[in-house]
Amino acid sequence: MTEEAIFRSANMVLVQVYMASEIARDCVWVLGEMGSIEFLDLNEGVNSFQRAFVEETRRLDNTERQLRYLEGVMREQGVEEPREAYGGAYGGAARQPSRDLEELMQRTPQTTSEMDAVVKAVAEYEQGVREMAETYRGLEKRQQGLQEERSVLEGTRKYFETRMSYDGYRDGDDGSSDRNSSDRFTISSNDSLLTQEERAEGFGPDDVGLHDLEAAPSTGAGPMPRESSVNILGTAMGVVCGTIETDKFAILERILWRTLRGNLYMARVEIGAPVVDFDTGEEQRRCIFAVFTHGGGLVARSRAVAESLGGRVVEVPGSHRAYAVAVHGVNGKLADVQRVLAGTAERLAVELKEVAGQLAGWRAAVARDKAVYAAMNRFDYDPARRCLVAEGWMPRGDVGTARAAMVDVADRRGVDIAPVVSVVDSHLTPPTFFRTNKFTAAFQAIVDAYGIASYREINPGLPAIVTFPFMFAIMFGDMGHGLILTLAAACLCLAESAIARQPHRGEIFDMAYSGRYVLLLMGLFSIFTGFLYSDLFSRPVTLFASRWAYPAGFKEGQTVSATQTGVYPIGLDWAWHSAENTLLFANSYKMKLSILMGFIHMSYSLQLSLANFRFFKSRVDIIGNYIPGFLFMHCIFGYLCLTIVYKWCVDWIGLKRVAPSLLNMLINMFLAPGTVDHQLYPGQGPVQLVLLAVALVCVPWLLLYKPLALRRAHNHSVALGYSEVLSGPSEASSLASSHSHYSSLRPSESESHVLSPSNSLSPSNSHSSSFSHPPPLPFNFADIMVNQVIYTIEFCLNCVSHTASYLRLWALSLAHNQLSSVLWNMTLRNSFVAYSERGFWGCIIVVLLFALWFVLTVAVLVCMEGTSAMLHSLRLHWVEAMSKHFQGEGYKYTPFSFYRLLTSDDDS
Amino acid sequence: MSGWTVIIVLIANLVAGSLFWRFAPKQDRTVWRSTVSLMLAMMYLMWAFTYLCQLHPLIEPRRSDLRPEFAEKI
Repeated sequence: MTEEAIFRSANMVLVQVYMASEIARDCVWVLGEMGSIEFLDLNEGVNSFQRAFVEETRRLDNTERQLRYLEGVMREQGVEEPREAYGGAYGGAARQPSRDLEELMQRTPQTTSEMDAVVKAVAEYEQGVREMAETYRGLEKRQQGLQEERSVLEGTRKYFETRMSYDGYRDGDDGSSDRNSSDRFTISSNDSLLTQEERAEGFGPDDVGLHDLEAAPSTGAGPMPRESSVNILGTAMGVVCGTIETDKFAILERILWRTLRGNLYMARVEIGAPVVDFDTGEEQRRCIFAVFTHGGGLVARSRAVAESLGGRVVEVPGSHRAYAVAVHGVNGKLADVQRVLAGTAERLAVELKEVAGQLAGWRAAVARDKAVYAAMNRFDYDPARRCLVAEGWMPRGDVGTARAAMVDVADRRGVDIAPVVSVVDSHLTPPTFFRTNKFTAAFQAIVDAYGIASYREINPGLPAIVTFPFMFAIMFGDMGHGLILTLAAACLCLAESAIARQPHRGEIFDMAYSGRYVLLLMGLFSIFTGFLYSDLFSRPVTLFASRWAYPAGFKEGQTVSATQTGVYPIGLDWAWHSAENTLLFANSYKMKLSILMGFIHMSYSLQLSLANFRFFKSRVDIIGNYIPGFLFMHCIFGYLCLTIVYKWCVDWIGLKRVAPSLLNMLINMFLAPGTVDHQLYPGQGPVQLVLLAVALVCVPWLLLYKPLALRRAHNHSVALGYSEVLSGPSEASSLASSHSHYSSLRPSESESHVLSPSNSLSPSNSHSSSFSHPPPLPFNFADIMVNQVIYTIEFCLNCVSHTASYLRLWALSLAHNQLSSVLWNMTLRNSFVAYSERGFWGCIIVVLLFALWFVLTVAVLVCMEGTSAMLHSLRLHWVEAMSKHFQGEGYKYTPFSFYRLLTSDDDS
Repeated sequence: MSGWTVIIVLIANLVAGSLFWRFAPKQDRTVWRSTVSLMLAMMYLMWAFTYLCQLHPLIEPRRSDLRPEFAEKI
């Protein structure tokens, strides 16, 4: 059984792995399945392009790019990836890391030839799909062009017809035939050539978009009209028609006006639907334009201008017959293109479906192989001896398994040189690794968000499992609200595997999901505290008979006081609920409760610092930091807490004595030491004097002991002539670097013995980066002193401010209680009236008001208040509790693991 | 019921806590032990403080909206 590694981070060792280069890939593969080594980069100085396995990485990068391309085409074509069992973008390929040797042996690595096959298959599919997709795009473009052309034909024709029939629009062939309405009728019948389907596409011209922009008087008779010309007022006019982006129409208009010196007439018709530009993928609105001018030169010039602005010029035959032929031709072409397009799309979809089934597997295979090569790029490659040297951090308990698994790889591959795994000694600080499960992970995340614990430091995430939800519950105490929270969290917990399979969860929901166990405990503890507060949706919980009895025989409206008949066994007596002076009592209770719970929480955290100092064998910290800190805190606030409890235990009324104010007592303890206004207990004055004296002595003790002790140790070692050797793991120099660096004091075990003797590779440690000693920190008394002064001031002030800070427990619980009772009184309570007063409507009002009350309860009291209480609880942990012991100077352990690789951030 | 109840419950809690400590599940033992002990401790403390503050209250509940015919029932 491996160590638990939750109270303190796992014991990490630096291992060196020697492996023959031919089996290196398989060895790394096994380590990736095991997921418990973090490789160090042994080639930090080497440019990433000059590393040993760049070629392989580049090849896989290319395959990855091809996969991304295929994915893109699939998205464009609307082909879905099958996701029966959701496992991220990699399908079900992610397997839990295993530290079981048997299982590891069964997970055979994919061979290089398998990988080659994947790469080849992907490349082939990519090429095929790319060709087809390009054809498809080409056809689409062509289709769009034809549609545009058709709409120009239609638009201009309509325009001529409606605007110019009077002015002399004429069929060229008919020549001088009378231009009456019959002409127009033929044209409109020709309109049927424009198929209905096109209108459905919204491609037809927008009737409202007709604009006359310029009406230039056309004077001089131009030369002969070419094919696209119309006769206006007996004059042959050249026409240039086409489409252009709507935004650019104004520019076109201005330029043409200038270049043609006003000798033109322009018109435009909006095209209804926006057109997608295939090159940029953006939608744009286009409009049909028509420029009327005369003279071949001017026509050519307008055409050039229009084309330079990205316009598309379409020949519009002037003659009616030619027009009909043109429209017919365009329609024919369009139908052909659409037929081919449909065929291509079908073939593409078939191909893509084939791809879709395998995509997840390919992606996983490529990602894994790439990660393997990325890891191998960090190794030291010795081409002469054909071996790779890897170094990395590994939990001590896993070394044996790793070694056996790698020997097994060598056996299977028939390589007689087994890989060598040896534990080496190092002065580098190992990474912090807590083994969490689905329950503890969220609590650990709360602590990690503040800082990663130093190596082997006590993990504040462990006590937070209880203290965090409990501190929340003190503020949130209400059975009903706690129940709602519990039910919601229980749903998340029960359906966790179903939710985990959901591909896309919202960010907020995901947060609630990952913190579901935190929410569950928060809810459960809230039910408990709510029971103690005797609050259920702000109503009293009358489980036991009240221990307060009101006297009989009084007149209505008279103020009566109850008499005590006993002590309510669990929680607050519900008689307080409806009393007029309930706040007076509840305030005193909750305030004292907050101080007591807060002090106990801080004191508990302070004891963790003692455990840390003892673990790291830092005597100077125990004497110089822990003991004076403990005394200071307990002499003032511990004493306060004791007096609170003592005051509760004394029957002041029964003894006919004045109950002393504890706040005044504490203030007087400092302002007028030795004097007591109202005695709490005999001998109070001298006791307080002694406590005050102890607390005051602690300040210089805290301030001076540690720096002076360090200096003495330093001077002593210098006097003995060890000044050069101090760089090693000696106590004095590591401590000298400051109070917080005690983590480097861990017992250094020499374990550099080679554990696998059957090898011919002799480890030579010279090339390894991890053996270089860190430069010794020079002893600087001033720095230490300044640090200690800051620490002392902080500690003493924090004792006061942190204790006061716990009063937020009181404030929030009071606010929560008041808010929920206000909500009750404002809504639901008003609905309960006698039937005679409101009749049947009263029932409906109850239902409606219940809905209002319930929605507000969930939204405001559970969600909003709950969030606020949670943030306060978070602060109490990060600031008030963790400052007492937490160093947080570690860095997180990120092992090389296929599981992590395939499960994290795959949706990005 | 008197102040001794607090002591008795404390002892009962300590016994329960140590029993659990002894027979905690093998899997994730540290988490179980720490969580259950802390939970017992915090719940006990909260209850004890609530109980103690009502041991000898300095004020008594007072109300003026009471009707004589209901006073006996409360």
